[in-house]
Amino acid sequence: MREPTDFDAIVVGSGISGGWAAKELTEHGLKTLVLEAGGPVDPNTDYVEHVQPWAMHFRGFGDRKALERDHPVQRGCYACDEVGHKFFVNDNENPYTTPDDAPFKWFRGRQVGGRSITWGRQVYRWSDLDFGANAKDGHGTDWPIRYKDIAPWYSHVERFIGITGANEGLSQLPDGEFLPAMQMTAVETDARGKILKSFGGERVMTIGRAAILTTNHNGRLACHYCGPCERGCITHSYFTSLGSTLPAAQKTGNLTLRPNSVVAEVIYDPTRGRASGVRVIDANTMEAREYTARVVFLCASTIESVRLLLNSKSTRFPDGLANSSGTLGKYVMDHHYGSGASGTVPGFTDKRTIGRRPNGIYIARFRNVKTEHPDFLRGYGMQGGSGRGGWGRGGSMAGYGAAFKDSLINELGPWSLSASGWGETLPNENNTVTLDPTTKDKWGIPAARMDVRWRENELAMDQDMKTAMAEMLDAAGCTNIRTHGSNNPPGHCIHEMGGARMSLTAKDGVLNRWNQAWDVKNLFITDGACMASSACQNPSITYMALTARAVANTVAMMKRREL
Amino acid sequence: MERRDLLRAAGAATALSFLAPRDALAVWSRIARGGAVIGGLSEEQLALIGAIADTILPRSDTPSATDVGVPAFVNVIVSENDTDEDRAAFLAGLDAIEARAKTTGGDAFAQLAPSARASVIESIESESNRRADPARTYWRLKALIIHGYFTSEPVMKDVLKFEVMPGRFEGSAPMPIRTSMPPGEYRHA
Repeated sequence: MREPTDFDAIVVGSGISGGWAAKELTEHGLKTLVLEAGGPVDPNTDYVEHVQPWAMHFRGFGDRKALERDHPVQRGCYACDEVGHKFFVNDNENPYTTPDDAPFKWFRGRQVGGRSITWGRQVYRWSDLDFGANAKDGHGTDWPIRYKDIAPWYSHVERFIGITGANEGLSQLPDGEFLPAMQMTAVETDARGKILKSFGGERVMTIGRAAILTTNHNGRLACHYCGPCERGCITHSYFTSLGSTLPAAQKTGNLTLRPNSVVAEVIYDPTRGRASGVRVIDANTMEAREYTARVVFLCASTIESVRLLLNSKSTRFPDGLANSSGTLGKYVMDHHYGSGASGTVPGFTDKRTIGRRPNGIYIARFRNVKTEHPDFLRGYGMQGGSGRGGWGRGGSMAGYGAAFKDSLINELGPWSLSASGWGETLPNENNTVTLDPTTKDKWGIPAARMDVRWRENELAMDQDMKTAMAEMLDAAGCTNIRTHGSNNPPGHCIHEMGGARMSLTAKDGVLNRWNQAWDVKNLFITDGACMASSACQNPSITYMALTARAVANTVAMMKRREL
Repeated sequence: MERRDLLRAAGAATALSFLAPRDALAVWSRIARGGAVIGGLSEEQLALIGAIADTILPRSDTPSATDVGVPAFVNVIVSENDTDEDRAAFLAGLDAIEARAKTTGGDAFAQLAPSARASVIESIESESNRRADPARTYWRLKALIIHGYFTSEPVMKDVLKFEVMPGRFEGSAPMPIRTSMPPGEYRHA
């Protein structure tokens, strides 16, 4: 029997967004083909979170020569380490380019599950402060949706995947449907109270909201606090598409998952004005194939989805599919992050932590919420945590002998508390992804060329992150307060967004309020490419909610025979 | 998490818990059998590293640095992972440490009595500039020694009693500890 090539729906990508598209489409009864560029992942043999340092040849320092050879870009990500590098692409097979004066980091995972295997798991709802920001200050185009449009879909996603967090009643950081919160440390609880008091309740330090189970949930086990989530999780205690949405899709009997399928082009049918399907290159055999469907969902990740559209040229769309507005590949964003402060917390020497909490603290945005900051627009949230130094402190500590050794075994260093900002980036037309005119990847597809730069507003905000965090540490009673700046180039935060933004009208963007291409009505983009602004919250849950919402509307349109 | 669930999770993970990348196990078993590290350090250099390591982390009611193979770990890092430049700097720094031993103690470090070894360590650690040899290389070596010791299998399992799956997080637990936290617990989100 020949492999079927015609489906109700095609989903490009099997990560955070693609997994949700697959689950929702198949549960609505649509025969769905999910195409994943990378290979399959078997948690039973591929996950490496319990491999201990003594079992690693370089004890966790990483194989420098191999990483420099195969992962010269990817190794800039903390998770691309001695055992976790397998979840990152080979840079030689997957090149991209930048101007010499505009470095950009593109950290990528091509495998079933995508970057949901390595993601940071922090999830924060957006609010109307965020959806209304473009309209308010004129940067970027107005979002075609507001919080009320997405709120039920946040709940839908949260209930399924399981989110730990604490409700705080903040208008700028809406509450969610949370499983029990993880504990703060003794010093975090203390600092929270002191910071609340010193800043009149304006600055709220809460426990991180994360897609990690604190109780058993939907057939998945609660977290066992082993620590290195980015290497996988045999109990599926943090959300991955591999352990959550894809199994749900599989259960319907409507899912066809095809790994090693590099999508090169969306095929446009000019007579019907629709996407008829996709052209795929088999990652291993290089064989070309075509698949057709009634609807196509691009969930390949921000840059990949835009690159795919740019590479889908036709007489009707010579500058990339669904690009009659000319905005495709423009207004690309990431979060600028990493500036902040750290300090030593006196006291609490009778306290310690047990277990390795895969989560930290979060300080909700407080700039430009109630008052206007003179130096910059929009704002940032802060993420951090506290802890006591373990044996690692001995490497720079004076001393030797049995007593020195015993102190490293039986004692802990002082408590430290630190946090850094994750800042909103203004949408700017000149922050772009285009196709490189000469460089191609291993499959002959033109490489992405990234030209994204931090600008005045981002740099001013970075300065404030340092000052504001130092003030908060001072209020918390810290000593030895030190600020730190960030030299992270765009992309480093792995929150790349935009390039095929949603808009109120067809001339201002690529997608309408249902993530549907203005120009090609059966084409949908629900990953980070759809974002019209970046807010300052970690974005993945917003992609998930938008994906589920878009599918529901797509199915309704199909039932009304509008598609 | 419930005890029952932790056991279930541990059961699911048992097959994995002590699985290591096959290459790594192969290399460590080769070293354990006395095989050479690729481009490895000389006997004299390893003896010097072992003597320094056991001065910093001597045998007591817990193992010494050499008991758990710290010199072999330092050898792997320096010989197989360092850039040529870093390796050359490290080897020159080892010579500078040895020269200090001869000046301060009158003999090669490994030949000195414990009290004389201690004097050499103290003379180097008391230098305020940690960027000039012998201090520069000494502090790099010390960090490697401590890393190698505390990430070794016997120390993680028997001394730190490291729990792979603690099953809970407590943010305000009482001291003292019987296990220490690994460094870098908080991870970027």
